[in-house]
Amino acid sequence: MTSRSSPSYGFVIDNRRCIGCHACTVACKTEHSDPVGVNKTWVQYLEKGVHPRAERAFHVLRCNHCSQAPCVDMCPTASLTIREDAIVDFDPSRCIGCKACMQACPYDAIDIHPDTGTATKCNYCAHRVDVGREPACAVVCPADAIITGDLSDPESRISTLVAGQPTMVRKPEKGTGPKIHYIEGHREALDPLASHRSVRTLWGERPRDATDREEGQELSIPRGDPRRTYDIQQRHAVSWGAKVSSYLWTKSIAAGALMVPALLAPFERTSLVDSALSLGWSIALIFLALTGVLLVLDLKRPERFLWVLLRPQWGSWLVRGAYGITLYGAVATLGWWLQASSGSSTGALLLATAALLATFVAVYTGWLFGQAKGRDLWQSALSPIHLGFQAIVAGAAILLLLKPDELSDLRGLLAVALILELPFMLLEVFGKHSTQAAAIAARSMTVGIRGKWFYLGALAAGRILPVVLIVGTTTNEMRSGLAALLALAGIAIWEHLWVEAPQRLPLA
Amino acid sequence: MSSKISWIERLAAQFGLVPRTRGLPQPERYGDDLRDFPPFDRWLELEELDSRRNPRRMAMVPTTCFNCEAGCGLLATVDVDENEIVRIEGNPLHPGSRGRNCAKGPATLNQVQDPERILQPMKRSGPRGEGGFVPVSWDEALDQIAASVRERLLSDRHDEVMYHVGRPGHEGSVERVLQAWGIDGHNSHTTVCSASARCGYQLTWGYDRPAPDHENAQLILLLSSHLEAGHYFNPHAQRIVEAKERGARIVVLDPRLSNTAARADLWLPTRPGTEGAVLLATLRLLIDENTFDRTFVDNWIDWRGYLENLHPEDAPTVERFLERFSEYLSQWTATEVEQLAGLEAGSIRALADEVARAGNRVAAHIWRSAASGNLGGWQIARAMALLTAFTGSAGREGGTSPAGWNKFKPDFFSMPEHGSRWNELIWPRQWPTSFYEMSHLLPHLVEDGVGKIGVYFTRVFNPVWTFPDGMSWMRMLRDENKVGLHVALTPTWNETAYFADLVLPMGHSTERHDIQSQETHSSRWVSFRQPIFRTLARLQGKPSSDTRGFNAGQVWEEDEFWIELSWRIDPDGELGIRKHFESPYRPGEKVTVEEQYRYMFENDIPGLPEKAAEMEMDPFEYMSRVGAHELPGESIRCHENKVEISDGFRPVVDAKTGIATVDGKAVGVAVDGAIRHGFPTESRRIEIYSRLLDEWGFGDMALPGSPESHVDPGKLDPEKGIYVLVPTFRLPTMIHSRSANSKHLMEISHANPVWIHPDEAQRHGIEDADLVRIETEIGHFVNRVWVTDGLRPGVLACSHHMGRWRLDTGPGSRWGSATVRFEDLPSGQVRLRLIEDVVPFQSKDPDSSRSWWSEAGVHQNLAFPVQTDPVSGMHCWHQKVRLNRASPEDRYGDVVVDPAKSRQVHQRWKEMARPASPELHGGLRRPRELPRPLGRSPEAYLFEQNPGS
Repeated sequence: MTSRSSPSYGFVIDNRRCIGCHACTVACKTEHSDPVGVNKTWVQYLEKGVHPRAERAFHVLRCNHCSQAPCVDMCPTASLTIREDAIVDFDPSRCIGCKACMQACPYDAIDIHPDTGTATKCNYCAHRVDVGREPACAVVCPADAIITGDLSDPESRISTLVAGQPTMVRKPEKGTGPKIHYIEGHREALDPLASHRSVRTLWGERPRDATDREEGQELSIPRGDPRRTYDIQQRHAVSWGAKVSSYLWTKSIAAGALMVPALLAPFERTSLVDSALSLGWSIALIFLALTGVLLVLDLKRPERFLWVLLRPQWGSWLVRGAYGITLYGAVATLGWWLQASSGSSTGALLLATAALLATFVAVYTGWLFGQAKGRDLWQSALSPIHLGFQAIVAGAAILLLLKPDELSDLRGLLAVALILELPFMLLEVFGKHSTQAAAIAARSMTVGIRGKWFYLGALAAGRILPVVLIVGTTTNEMRSGLAALLALAGIAIWEHLWVEAPQRLPLA
Repeated sequence: MSSKISWIERLAAQFGLVPRTRGLPQPERYGDDLRDFPPFDRWLELEELDSRRNPRRMAMVPTTCFNCEAGCGLLATVDVDENEIVRIEGNPLHPGSRGRNCAKGPATLNQVQDPERILQPMKRSGPRGEGGFVPVSWDEALDQIAASVRERLLSDRHDEVMYHVGRPGHEGSVERVLQAWGIDGHNSHTTVCSASARCGYQLTWGYDRPAPDHENAQLILLLSSHLEAGHYFNPHAQRIVEAKERGARIVVLDPRLSNTAARADLWLPTRPGTEGAVLLATLRLLIDENTFDRTFVDNWIDWRGYLENLHPEDAPTVERFLERFSEYLSQWTATEVEQLAGLEAGSIRALADEVARAGNRVAAHIWRSAASGNLGGWQIARAMALLTAFTGSAGREGGTSPAGWNKFKPDFFSMPEHGSRWNELIWPRQWPTSFYEMSHLLPHLVEDGVGKIGVYFTRVFNPVWTFPDGMSWMRMLRDENKVGLHVALTPTWNETAYFADLVLPMGHSTERHDIQSQETHSSRWVSFRQPIFRTLARLQGKPSSDTRGFNAGQVWEEDEFWIELSWRIDPDGELGIRKHFESPYRPGEKVTVEEQYRYMFENDIPGLPEKAAEMEMDPFEYMSRVGAHELPGESIRCHENKVEISDGFRPVVDAKTGIATVDGKAVGVAVDGAIRHGFPTESRRIEIYSRLLDEWGFGDMALPGSPESHVDPGKLDPEKGIYVLVPTFRLPTMIHSRSANSKHLMEISHANPVWIHPDEAQRHGIEDADLVRIETEIGHFVNRVWVTDGLRPGVLACSHHMGRWRLDTGPGSRWGSATVRFEDLPSGQVRLRLIEDVVPFQSKDPDSSRSWWSEAGVHQNLAFPVQTDPVSGMHCWHQKVRLNRASPEDRYGDVVVDPAKSRQVHQRWKEMARPASPELHGGLRRPRELPRPLGRSPEAYLFEQNPGS
């Protein structure tokens, strides 16, 4: 036996043994007093093949206790941590209910507890491990199909199994280092896109979720195709909804409102810059406030919102972003208070600082969403740049909208920004996607009702029409205002589609 | 983790802006490696964390699961300060379950905490069956029952007192009570469960159940689904899985892809009713190809009896027997049987090869499934028993032993003599070879005028829902002239308790005393069920004499109830009852339930006192703390054990048969140079020809065969929608009648759609989830379909576990039951119609408002007529049905039944019976060699003793 200073606990799920009895589920739920609707572990049934070659397979699914756990990276308050013994543990007393972990987890292993509003997931029964006992699921398992132990000890039973048997993990391409190893795993069971998920199960139903088609609109399943015949709902699905997409919109406006004057400063006359700037300070403040309100309201524990700043986990882009927003808010307040001309050194300094922070506030969300490893569509490297251009569009549009006469010169900037922004949006949708999930999510934005919103709303009305209105026609204030309004609406529609699309794919 | 806390947080905490990070408690570890359970010596004093990381002082007290008949060990961890159960796990010291459980074990915690459980005795307040109940004191209830029973015992109306048990969970404790009362009043559920399986085995080797040694088997042959259900799911499953990993093969015969079939190496989706033919065709191949155990057949198969009775002219040699038997079996050729059974060509060859390769390590089991589904299903079990025997696996390591060798039923401190009364309502003459009580016919027998019930105890028994033809039960129970005082002993509301006069809350597995022993594997054990808080108090030096007060509300336990009731029936001892309930330690005083078991553990369980002494405990403390005991001695090859010969005991061996007798009574058989115990059949060997059947009017079935089932393929016509419905299959998560109070079980499984093969669905234009009307002979039910390749063509299947209901006027478990009403239709039919699905409700458990499932399933059993096998007495579950698409007036959950038809079908099946009569069989009502759960004195079997109706 090697030194036990730092064991690395993991699971082997031995499907040569599993009989699909659900004892682990019930033992887990009673051990943790978990409510109905919450599953830290569950036994998925998969069926495939045509009689009499029909098969049924069972897969115990749960938190993978990843060695590179994306939920831990993304959690803003270090509620999720990797313990020294490699358990991905969870402390509900620190959780603010931001659901970032649900976006980060590629395995849909995290629930929100209905009583506490905090996240909850398998923690390897850390309270039992702390006294030297195995998790409840492993103890109850009648077939001894759940094997616990120290993966860092080559002599341990679990290490011997992993070394001696072909094993699979879920989504190894995510690079998360999952520590549940499946013996005789089925790809169709472990890859959520490789089997059908009907709402009805062998002996009942599962709750509908946002990845399901509307009732009555379900596709029929070709005979013999792999199909989940017992499963649970996708808890992650659209856990970030309209409040989050609206936050992206308000934040773009708040950032753009000062990015635009800063862009104008080197090229335009001071009076125009100052005119934009005086409005920009106010808009930045108002929309930052809205952004804050939306972010707080989206928390399941809104009263804990300050913990993002006061109990920060620096690795999380939620924290970095929150600090960026806070600093930006502080500079905007100062700027609004002083109302210094951009021509003055104070004013120039303030504007430059504000512009840097605004740019950060605009683009950081790209990295934040990139931290959501569960969402392939959001893994785009272009996303921060896209958001930067989008903020300029938003800034130009809002300024133009509110001061159509004084700032009518911004029409040109708006048109240019729209033309520059457009390819990024098109690339997000039609570019080559490195994974199937990203491609499906992107495609989902172009078909059906979402397709209509995309083509008519985001693309035609939100991008092309404003450019046409500005460039292709004689300008007047009404047309500029309309173009600005459409551009702002276009951003809102796009953000909503982009935020929602990948969340409508199953992760488990 | 503390190192990750940033300076900002530390600063903010200093100013009180955020809570200080609490240091997690660092409890003492049991050791470096993770272990499944704490060391035994710590069980009574633990300090562990609960799931919220609060350190708690805890104690672990063993008990026995009550959620099926496997009797698995449980270990309840209780918080000794808060007096609450923290968790329920398995008991690692239990020989059968070895610390492991199925989902139903931990679900016990749901049951104990169920917000809708019955917490005090209830008395009916309106008409029977309307659901009105008011609380009543235990004293009042006991006095009322005692007076009713006493009145009948005093007026020689003993047969009017009946105890009817669904889930026994004990070994003989109630049988003892009934014997003490002098009544033949024990009724059971066996004829809806295992009668035919028992019959087939009993006729073959004189024991009514198999006990496969899966652990050491090479082939595990299942006409059952022991990886998910049945006796004994968890203990069997864990051993089957171990054997499989070691290289054993699993073969499953089942029309449905059960979880068990899904894990099989060979799945044979036989047409229902053809399984016996498949087994006999396989046996024929083994014999013809000489791939059976010749020595075992020579020694232990009663080939002598076969030749003597069927070919008396032949030379009595094993060679001749094999020729003759092969000739007999030639009617089952592989090709023809494969066609009959709807199997792919080569299936029987494959099965025979599997059997042959396994040598004498064939562990086989048949439970419910084919045996309980088909008319003549007992012949399927018999074929299975015989096939196993020919491999030489009977009684061998890795083979299949008689259950009797793997089970131990201890005596109590006072064992009343077997009575001589015979209750015809329970043991009617029409089915003299039944296994056992004709329980499913009770309403029809009452209607037939066979008898009436004065005091009716239903004990964890819910025939209205579990049995076929539930409406006949409702009619009987509603009629106070047919059933006098109905007392329901139950931990939870159920459909039958609605029709009770008194509903008495009895404990779950952590709230009651029982002893249990089951043939889970090649061993013998006894397990102790105990009210954990009372036990803990006793172990802490605070003994008590009453289980009430330790349980929730006024929940009690049966053992104490029976003691108290018996004293009230016979307060001064004049009826001869009281003496059986007097303490063996304190003469003349009322025995306590703890004394009852203390005495048993000290005196009646081999090896227990010694084992306890090794641990420096007395036997009672040992069982209280360890929870189970494995008896010493071998539990295989018991047939080979030599009969001990002493001066006063000198057997005489018959030269022709080898049977050894003492004073005319068979005691063994001469085999291989010694007088051995053999099997408890007439020949002391495994029998092919059954003289008993021959003599009792079943000469046409005296040999193994594959009689045509009532759902034989030839009687079906899928084109016209005529199918066999397999209604018996069970789910791994369900507890017959007691799942609806477990939220976590209901969440996983809550509906029972009708399974149908895609081709059959297409044939009738049915799509997945469509509503269909399934017509039985007496009515129909409406359910949705589940189109699946997991079922063979020509068959429909529907789990019997769902379709729980409650009336809108009465109580019930709302986690898992729909609200219904019963309507009398102008046609004379009665319709059950859903008023409301499962809906969230308010209770002390916030989860009750979060139930997200709406279906509770369909109560198909209501639409089934009783179909009684003339030999085994089994209710033959499979139904010949007509599949229709639902009509516009049909609603999900509808069940419509014509009561007149239900009577007619009963009568028609009854006509197949071959009754005993005073003029036949020496005036016997039943062969004395067939077992009865409630033993009778030899004279009780004579008609003249109890002429009856």
